[in-house]
Amino acid sequence: MRTSTDAQGRESPEQRVGRLAAQLRNHELWDSLLICSPPLLVSIYLGMYLYRAAWIAPITFLLLSGAVIGLSLLAVVVHTRRLRPSVRSAARLVDEKTEAKDRFLTLATIDVALWPAALVGRLRSEAAALLERIDFRHEFPYRIKRSFYWSFLISLIAATLFHLSMPLMESTRRQAPAYEKLSELAEKMAQRPPLSELAYDLHTLAVKLQDPNVAEQEKQTLIHKALEQVEKQQKKEKEQESRALLGEASSTLQGLEQQSAKSQQKDTEKGDGGAQSNPSQEGQGEGRQSQGGGDSKGEQNAKRSKDMQKGQDARENSKEQGKEQSPQSQGDGKDNQPDPSNKSDKGTGKELTGKTPGGSQEKPGRSRSDEIPQGAPPAERFYKPGEQGSEGVKGARYVTVQLPEELAADSKGEGTLSKPSKEPRAYPKIPVSNAPLPAHVPEAPMEKQQLPLEYRGIIR
Amino acid sequence: MEPEKFQQVFKRLEAEVRKVIVGHDDVIRQVLIAFFAGGHVLLEGVPGLGKTLLVKSLSHVLGVSFKRIQFTPDLMPSDIVGTEVLTEANGRREFQFKKGPIFAHVVLADEINRATPKTQSAVLEAMEEKQVTVFGESHTLACPFIVLATQNPIELEGTYPLPEAQLDRFFFKLMVAPPSPIELREILKRTTGTETGDAGKVLPDDGGKLIGQMQQLLRQVLIAPPIEDYVVRVVHATQPNLINGNGSTSPVKQYLRFGSSPRGAQAVILGAKGNALADGRIHVSYEDVAKVIYPALRHRIILNFQAEAENVNTDEILAEVVKQVPRA
Repeated sequence: MRTSTDAQGRESPEQRVGRLAAQLRNHELWDSLLICSPPLLVSIYLGMYLYRAAWIAPITFLLLSGAVIGLSLLAVVVHTRRLRPSVRSAARLVDEKTEAKDRFLTLATIDVALWPAALVGRLRSEAAALLERIDFRHEFPYRIKRSFYWSFLISLIAATLFHLSMPLMESTRRQAPAYEKLSELAEKMAQRPPLSELAYDLHTLAVKLQDPNVAEQEKQTLIHKALEQVEKQQKKEKEQESRALLGEASSTLQGLEQQSAKSQQKDTEKGDGGAQSNPSQEGQGEGRQSQGGGDSKGEQNAKRSKDMQKGQDARENSKEQGKEQSPQSQGDGKDNQPDPSNKSDKGTGKELTGKTPGGSQEKPGRSRSDEIPQGAPPAERFYKPGEQGSEGVKGARYVTVQLPEELAADSKGEGTLSKPSKEPRAYPKIPVSNAPLPAHVPEAPMEKQQLPLEYRGIIR
Repeated sequence: MEPEKFQQVFKRLEAEVRKVIVGHDDVIRQVLIAFFAGGHVLLEGVPGLGKTLLVKSLSHVLGVSFKRIQFTPDLMPSDIVGTEVLTEANGRREFQFKKGPIFAHVVLADEINRATPKTQSAVLEAMEEKQVTVFGESHTLACPFIVLATQNPIELEGTYPLPEAQLDRFFFKLMVAPPSPIELREILKRTTGTETGDAGKVLPDDGGKLIGQMQQLLRQVLIAPPIEDYVVRVVHATQPNLINGNGSTSPVKQYLRFGSSPRGAQAVILGAKGNALADGRIHVSYEDVAKVIYPALRHRIILNFQAEAENVNTDEILAEVVKQVPRA
């Protein structure tokens, strides 16, 4: 300790000022490092997070990490160089601390050779005497600057915001079809010979999952099999990256399996709901039949029929029906309704009986044949404009035509088909005309239009 | 010469002048600094503030010769510098140079703005070259030599404002302010009673050598290059046509017609050195510079018509310049 003090004492004031400048430069370096550290760490952490969540590829992660580290180093260098304290500024600091009235600044900056040696020596001794008053370590300690706290706070906020936004991003990501991810994984696996066979199977599975004709049950079975295969392979695999790929595939398949199970469960719940809706239909005074216990769309049909009776726009009903015809509902054989085109013939006899197959009381009103047919595959006319049916009708639009006698019957409160026994006329199965109109026809009517009497025969 | 000796002499001179002059401490100090820096001083103030007394007291304490010239409109240059007169000696007639009042160590040019420009300009050569030329013959002035000129800012009738060229030759322009009530009471006490204070001589009659040593020491005072840079930047910032950045909003550009000459920078540095020595230091600090910026530059920057119309003075503009120019 004493030796260092003696050494300091032997040093000239200029040397000590130079040493202080070096010390301050170190402080600036630390400041720069501290300021840049939080954003760097947060960036790397976010990169790791994205990499672990399989948002980015390993090479992207490495490149991004390298770029971030490089940028941080550059920022440190630029910041340090910009704020690098010079000997002059160090001398001014010492002047301020010792109240030396610019003695150290003068000593540190003048060219000694140009000035009288006696005066310079005198100034040096004055400065040395002043230096004894202070200890650089105590007077100029390293203190963390406020900019570091700001940097830390902002980085923390950024990380928190990222975490808060992750669920949103995840949900966005989940919206992407899982079979696409499966295909990607299959492609990655195909590059590894031990996994090529499994990759082929997964690719086939992904293709099948995209096919709407494949039943949900079958899909689930296929997913389950694939999952078993992947798990077996995972147990065998020793390579780390292959294991990671298999793990990812396994998690994707599990997700698909859960998704499939949920959709099946929903279908089942819908079917139950249809059965429960039957009693509610009875009290509505509607002249329609229920679909029976096995009708999964009973509730919707009841509502639709009610709407029609109330004279609501039939086009809305056709939209609803279009919605109802989801491919998932096709898996349940009980729920299937016959195709409307076939049903028109089959239902002719039944529709006048006044009794539902399920035993519901028939109300005066429309017969079952008036209702829009249900079941899969749906007739293309039930698709909404712009949707494509199985037979490929695109951009079709529909017009609802209400016959004058129906209007009259509606206004009286009784359905047109409420007196089938008197007039066994061959009414259309449904009170709407779904003749598709091309989309490009500008005058295509969107709302109800009265059918002129002279066209009645044609329509019938 | 040792710096301590300089400080000691300087302090004694100040103290002796203060025996006669009440207040005006800064003016006394700056007149002494200008004297040891080899410059001339223009004192501006209303009549009766003790300007003439200050100069007389200063010459007395310095132990040097003193002459007073009362400038009037009919004053001729020969009345100042002297002239050739025909003399007869030993039966021979010859022209002999009769020295004017300018041949003194301390010359008081009282109310210098009352003389005609022709007479005023007669002082120019004397101030700058420290010599006068009469009928083609040059005569060296006394050393040390200082001109202390006074002018009255309120009586402008029948006056001839000093041209810029002559103003630039003054090292400092000092504003003599009216005394404060305390100072006025002290003035009354000293001047209306039976006992009056007299300044004693500090330097011996042959003190020219000592004054020369002190002037030499003043120039040896150390000054750091950053402080010199600061002075350069300040002087440069007074140039209305060279200033960058602030454009028309800058008061310099708005109110100044001309900025300071290089003599201004010289005066600032030398004045700062004198101030440092007077404080017992052998190096110049920023504080020394700040103390002499106003007296050294205020008469060297020329206001434009807008400044005259808006009653803006040079000190306000210099204050703005000092504020704008960073020290580091």
